Amino acid sequence: MKEALSLVQRLSAHPDSRCWFVSWSPSGTLLASCGGDRAVRIWAREGDSWVCKSVLQDGHQRTVRKVAWSPCGNYLASASFDATTCIWKKKNDSFESLTVLEGHENEVKCVAWAPSGNLLATCSRDKSVWVWEVDEEDEYECVTVVNSHTQDVKHVVWHPNQELLASASYDNNICIYKEEDDDWECRATLQGHTSTVWSLCFDATGERLASCSDDRTVKIWKEDPSESGQGDLSWKCVCTLSGYHGRTVYDVAWCRLTAALATACGDDAVRVFKEDETSDPTQPVFSLAAQVPKAHSQDVNCVSWNPKEAGLLASCSDDGDIAIWRFQEVE
Amino acid sequence: MADGEDLFDSILLADEKYRGEGYREGFQRGTRRGLQGGRRHGASHGARLSSEVSFYHGFATTWKCLLDHSTDVKSRKRLKALESLLGLIRDSPLDNPQSVTLQSNTDKLRAKFRQVCSMLSVPADFRDIHTAAGTSF
Repeated sequence: MKEALSLVQRLSAHPDSRCWFVSWSPSGTLLASCGGDRAVRIWAREGDSWVCKSVLQDGHQRTVRKVAWSPCGNYLASASFDATTCIWKKKNDSFESLTVLEGHENEVKCVAWAPSGNLLATCSRDKSVWVWEVDEEDEYECVTVVNSHTQDVKHVVWHPNQELLASASYDNNICIYKEEDDDWECRATLQGHTSTVWSLCFDATGERLASCSDDRTVKIWKEDPSESGQGDLSWKCVCTLSGYHGRTVYDVAWCRLTAALATACGDDAVRVFKEDETSDPTQPVFSLAAQVPKAHSQDVNCVSWNPKEAGLLASCSDDGDIAIWRFQEVE
Repeated sequence: MADGEDLFDSILLADEKYRGEGYREGFQRGTRRGLQGGRRHGASHGARLSSEVSFYHGFATTWKCLLDHSTDVKSRKRLKALESLLGLIRDSPLDNPQSVTLQSNTDKLRAKFRQVCSMLSVPADFRDIHTAAGTSF
């Protein structure tokens, strides 16, 4: 049995610019993309192809770096280099700007919605991570500012079923935060990468965390409950994927349906890894299942698995394109 | 001959003797200068930190007075954050420059201040105030 990635469609999403990030809506029917042209675009399937349904402009003055859907699918958050985060509300088929979150000193690098939908996290080049609370009236209030990193914070991601937040930074570390008396505090610092950590992704159960880095490796971390004491958590690196990536690994995505692990790399390739089912859970082994060496003509910035349709993968690149792939096992 | 020996000794050992005296004098002067420099450095940094934290204290106290009689949920939340900022200021080991927690405590204080500013919809860019106060020393 062999696995393969086949191209479904290529979209010129942010022409003459970079496409930084793509995100599937929770129902898997919409794909949001953002880029250096300061716009957010919403894509949907029409017949056999994907088409642009709306363009969210005038929200930001500079590059839009990341977008995130709320768990209910009715809100979209966009993080921009103009130091703000915009919240958009879906109305029928269009989106309207609901509010703008200000507070970061400079470029906002990432935004993520907690599974409950009541909390939002943002991070910035100003080295801080902010947690915002959303109330019933769509009002956002900052509940905490944490400075646990010593450099630019690149990515934030929530645990799928606990109120845990993880962040990745230019200081080579990953921090995991927990709420404590109304404040969020760093409860674990994961050290191991030897250069910038660009992205993070929990697996479906939240037991493991994948991280990718400028050191050209992907690491798998697992919580070690025996060493997690009084409030503090202990996460250990149980696997390092090295030798596969020729350049910086910018993104890693763990499919919630198939457990396949996809990576986006600065060598223009998209790769998919699968875990050997027979391997020891404390020392998992991952092997390369499929790769497309020239998936894009420039750096691949992001990979994202469709949450409902197993094997449907979106990637985007500095070349401004989005590519949609199908990963499947072929005889 | 004993006198003659002393005479030669004083000439021969002069180098060593003056070197020793010079060293002592230089050491004393250096110590004094080091102390002065250290004192100046400490005073300027202490003043800067103190003016920054005092600013947060005044800011928090003023807002606390303004909100003290409001009973709505939003004001309660803001008051709670202000209280926690004041608590951090109270617990800060400001009088002990050698405290190991001074740096981390100050970082926490600054983060809390930024959160409070965000909750109160006040732009948090007060850098001009601190630098102006700091450099006047």
